[in-house]
Amino acid sequence: MLLIDAIFIGLLEASPLILAAMGFTLIFYLNGFMNIAYAESITFGAYFAVLFNVVLGAHFYLSIVPSMLLSGCLSVAVYLAIFRPALNRGVGPTEMIILSVGVSFMLRYGLILVVGPENLFLNEPDITYLQFMGMGATNLQLVALALVFLGAGTLYWMIYNTGLGEQMRGLANNHDLAMASGINPHRTSVAIWFIAGCAGGLSGVFSGVFAQVTPYMGWNVILITMLVTIVAGVGSVRGAVVAAVVAGVLTAFITLVTKPLYAEVALLLAFIGVLTYRGARTA
Amino acid sequence: MDYLIFSFSLMLVYIGLAQLLHVQFGLLGIPNFGVVGFWGLGLYGTGVLYVSYSMPLIVAILLASLITAAVAYILSHLVLQRSGQAILAATLAFAAIVATLIITEKDITGGVQGLGTIGFPFADVASRNVIYFFLLMVVVVLLIWISAKLRDSRMGRSLIAIRDNEELAASLGKDTAGTKRGVFVLTCALMGLLGGLTAPLHQFLVPYLLAPSLTFAVWIALVLGGKGHNLGAMVGVFATFGLFDILIETYAPVPAEQAILLPNFKLFCYGVLLVMIIMFRPAGMLGVDGPRTRARPATTPAGDASVKEG
Repeated sequence: MLLIDAIFIGLLEASPLILAAMGFTLIFYLNGFMNIAYAESITFGAYFAVLFNVVLGAHFYLSIVPSMLLSGCLSVAVYLAIFRPALNRGVGPTEMIILSVGVSFMLRYGLILVVGPENLFLNEPDITYLQFMGMGATNLQLVALALVFLGAGTLYWMIYNTGLGEQMRGLANNHDLAMASGINPHRTSVAIWFIAGCAGGLSGVFSGVFAQVTPYMGWNVILITMLVTIVAGVGSVRGAVVAAVVAGVLTAFITLVTKPLYAEVALLLAFIGVLTYRGARTA
Repeated sequence: MDYLIFSFSLMLVYIGLAQLLHVQFGLLGIPNFGVVGFWGLGLYGTGVLYVSYSMPLIVAILLASLITAAVAYILSHLVLQRSGQAILAATLAFAAIVATLIITEKDITGGVQGLGTIGFPFADVASRNVIYFFLLMVVVVLLIWISAKLRDSRMGRSLIAIRDNEELAASLGKDTAGTKRGVFVLTCALMGLLGGLTAPLHQFLVPYLLAPSLTFAVWIALVLGGKGHNLGAMVGVFATFGLFDILIETYAPVPAEQAILLPNFKLFCYGVLLVMIIMFRPAGMLGVDGPRTRARPATTPAGDASVKEG
């Protein structure tokens, strides 16, 4: 029973993480560096939702899609303005990570300077509590879960079954060969950064509505996202999904057994352990 | 005045940490994003040994550094031979573990209520904080001097060889794994030592001190100043901590309602500076200084060129 509870709670709590890990993985795979500024895709997704939902007064469900798209646009803008020129200059992977930390600071504290450091709340839609076989969840959680799986499924299908996914994998594995076979690297990259930004934005909207919207919300999950991605192996979107689900369930399980803070420690230790024994395939 | 001395002492600690990071990353190429974890182990180790076990401060600091070294040794066995990105994530995770354990193990560390008080040594001297400031300065100057010596030594050249091409260095008979581990453990222990030396400055330790922002502040300073230059760490800390935390926060006439946003504005500027530096001057403000080798008997021109590239 404890196990079923853990799986259920874990899936509910991991649902934003699954999307974030998938988006993060896409960029990692395509450009070969860990984009810490991806945290701001998550944060800005939630803030765009505040803009539509609270400031403009739209219904929560209606504000999901535009916030997601705007977050994607922001991701593309950052890519075109900063990351693409840097990649063209041949900045190394570690320096790219430091650059992304800089971008992350710029966006996050720029946001705080504009909207202020206060925590914000989204107007939740009417919440009803549903029970099914002894397990309870709100309708909002179930909608979120369904949308996450829809989003994750679409992303998965796109990467493994469509032309865009094939182009992306081609570019990631052998840039020159991909260009020689007529793939436009510019268009593919823009598309991937847009999709990754959308996934991050959606993840942010859901973490925002489950709890609160803060300027640090993306930053707080980026470490776990990063570790999930690395453990999953470079660019394995399948692996990212599995690792995110496992991380969520594991956290929920340990939280049920002991204190939540120990869950965090155990999870981080498990990641270091996996990194140690996975050998060359990791990152 | 006391506050200014406190700020300058803290700045020396930052310079020391950035200098050790220069050895780890600039010379050896290990992206250690767990600076605050090692520093925090030294800080809290000193605090616990001093307060709960009433050891003399110097003994507590040295013992805490040894503990830090032991932890760094274990960590180095676990992840040091992985790729740079894996090391980065693992050290970041390590720092998060340390910060969390400080909160949960409140029987030892005092948890969120804090741990204190840790007094300055030579308690009966009136200007003990000034003396302590000069003590810190001696330590930091020593660190800078030693890392310059290290860079110019045979050891330093093999570090740079490992950074640029580990397999090649190994094929030349260098014990790359052992060298990396040794230098990593030593520099992490010194980060712990700096942490221990910070304890009397703060006097009262709270988990908030172990936020990852310290790691990023040190990294930003190093990258800004020049990760491959021996004085890059110092210049970088002057340009970030010195300029924003000391000059602007102490002297700039900012109205009270905007003063709350000042730290945010500072971090925003750090971000912008970091982006500009990596885009337009990736080697940092000072660039890279080659090892100062003594003039050698001329060999082939090709040989000379390779020496200069270092």
